[in-house]
Amino acid sequence: MKKIILIFGVLSLLIFIKPVLGFNNNSAKLSASAAISQDDNAFTQEGFISEAFNGIKQFYQYTGFANAESGNIIMILIGIIFIYLGIKFDYEPLLLIPIGAGVIIGNIPFVAGNQTGIYETGSVLNYLYFGVVKGIYPPLIFLGIGAMTDFSSLIANPKLMLLGAAAQIGVFATFLGALYLGFNLPEAGAIGIIGGADGPTAIFLSSKLANGINVLADGTTVKNLIGPIAIAAYSYMALVPVIQPPIMKLLTTKKERLIRMKPPRAVSQKEKMIFPIVALLLTTFISPSALPLLGMLFFGNLLKESGRTERLADTARTKLIDIVTILLGVTVGASTQADVFITKDSMLIFGLGAISFVIATMGGLLFAKFMNLFLKGDDKLNPLIGAAGVSAVPDSARVVHAEGLKADPHNYLLMHAMAPNVAGVIGSAIAAGIILSFLG
Amino acid sequence: MTHLFLYTDTLSEGYVILVTGLLIVFSGLLLLTVFFKFGLPILLYIYKIITKGPDKKVAEISSKVNKDFTGEIAAAISTAIYMYLDERHDKENAILTIKQARKLYSPWSSKIYGVYNNKL
Repeated sequence: MKKIILIFGVLSLLIFIKPVLGFNNNSAKLSASAAISQDDNAFTQEGFISEAFNGIKQFYQYTGFANAESGNIIMILIGIIFIYLGIKFDYEPLLLIPIGAGVIIGNIPFVAGNQTGIYETGSVLNYLYFGVVKGIYPPLIFLGIGAMTDFSSLIANPKLMLLGAAAQIGVFATFLGALYLGFNLPEAGAIGIIGGADGPTAIFLSSKLANGINVLADGTTVKNLIGPIAIAAYSYMALVPVIQPPIMKLLTTKKERLIRMKPPRAVSQKEKMIFPIVALLLTTFISPSALPLLGMLFFGNLLKESGRTERLADTARTKLIDIVTILLGVTVGASTQADVFITKDSMLIFGLGAISFVIATMGGLLFAKFMNLFLKGDDKLNPLIGAAGVSAVPDSARVVHAEGLKADPHNYLLMHAMAPNVAGVIGSAIAAGIILSFLG
Repeated sequence: MTHLFLYTDTLSEGYVILVTGLLIVFSGLLLLTVFFKFGLPILLYIYKIITKGPDKKVAEISSKVNKDFTGEIAAAISTAIYMYLDERHDKENAILTIKQARKLYSPWSSKIYGVYNNKL
């Protein structure tokens, strides 16, 4: 039994390597089709064995081995790396594992035209992908996030809201960077939102701006960048524990990291109930384009805080968000089909994404230091919490907490960091709305 | 939606969006900050005035109102609630154990004479 597996493994490996080594299968394909046409003419004359042989040959043409290209294999490896990172290092496993599996699913080589691939109209994956392309999944995720999030630390200390705004500088700086690199305006806007560090927002905006359907004023069609942007946003979100700490250390002094903030005051239930309604009204009147995101976010929060709709809130923050995360993860992963994904643009987007995270973190940290200039004594902020202004809920808040503990083992920053963290979500949704209203 | 900057340079439009966008984000969140710093306490204060006067203090609540409600009644009610919530079901040990019986030889469980000849 072992021997059979070994032989099969070696054979499949050989077939896998074949396209990489450059024995291109185009000639094989041609000869096969020739053989098939011959087969039609001489159908009656040929015997059973040659017919069966032709059948097998044709079957082989349909297998992944015959259609594999180096791009597919690279992407499958990337998918496996995602899964590995999720399992081994626990970097956002709820995202990386569905996305990793999706990357593998989307890069299984197949013969086009049989309604298999995610980009072929009518295929099952295409129907599931519809929720990404039309921006349906992100608001549903926001509903769940709203039902999960406790805004009380933000209500207790409203000035921390500004840190969430400061980190949005990453969005606009990346936008400008993308323009310099030659992307056109809508594409640059969609790329910029990676700096918001918010997967659903990034998908929402790119599905509106860089969806491969919109036509620009000069007659060119925008590129479809949903896949690369979503992957970049999610993979950098997963890498927040790697990206942020060095920047935090670079921009803050030891003394600043030791600052202890006074514990937030207790927030009454009434305030918690008023918050989603007022915040919904204020933010969506300012930026109505972000209505699907912010509306659902605050609606979810109202479900949680009203005290009467615990059942709905419970569904939104558990089952519903899980279902949508599964669909979103796997389809976003599958949208990285090699022939669409492996382009120069994707590489540029990945580069810009990394820079945008760095800028956003720096923006938050520096603004916290700037605010400290005006605050006295007890009110002083620990600048580390500025880094949580990039949304990436709740990972960046956890990173801040961990860094705070490294400086002072008794300084618990998690509650304080959650405030700019959730403000970052609101901020990046507003930013998305602004970009959408400028460029949509 | 109007595209005012349609025919200008992309980069200059980019700068316009950069500046205005940042301004709007900041002003939006600043508005929220101001509201929750100042507006909300006022709102809550007004609400309090509308609904009722100041809350009663414990000392103000007269003990004469509930003269008939003695400690015994309270104890009986609380016991009843406790019994209702916790003692409704008689609890059994849910762990089932199957006693290992001493195996005597029987042709029914024979390894040699089994119908299927399976080597258990």
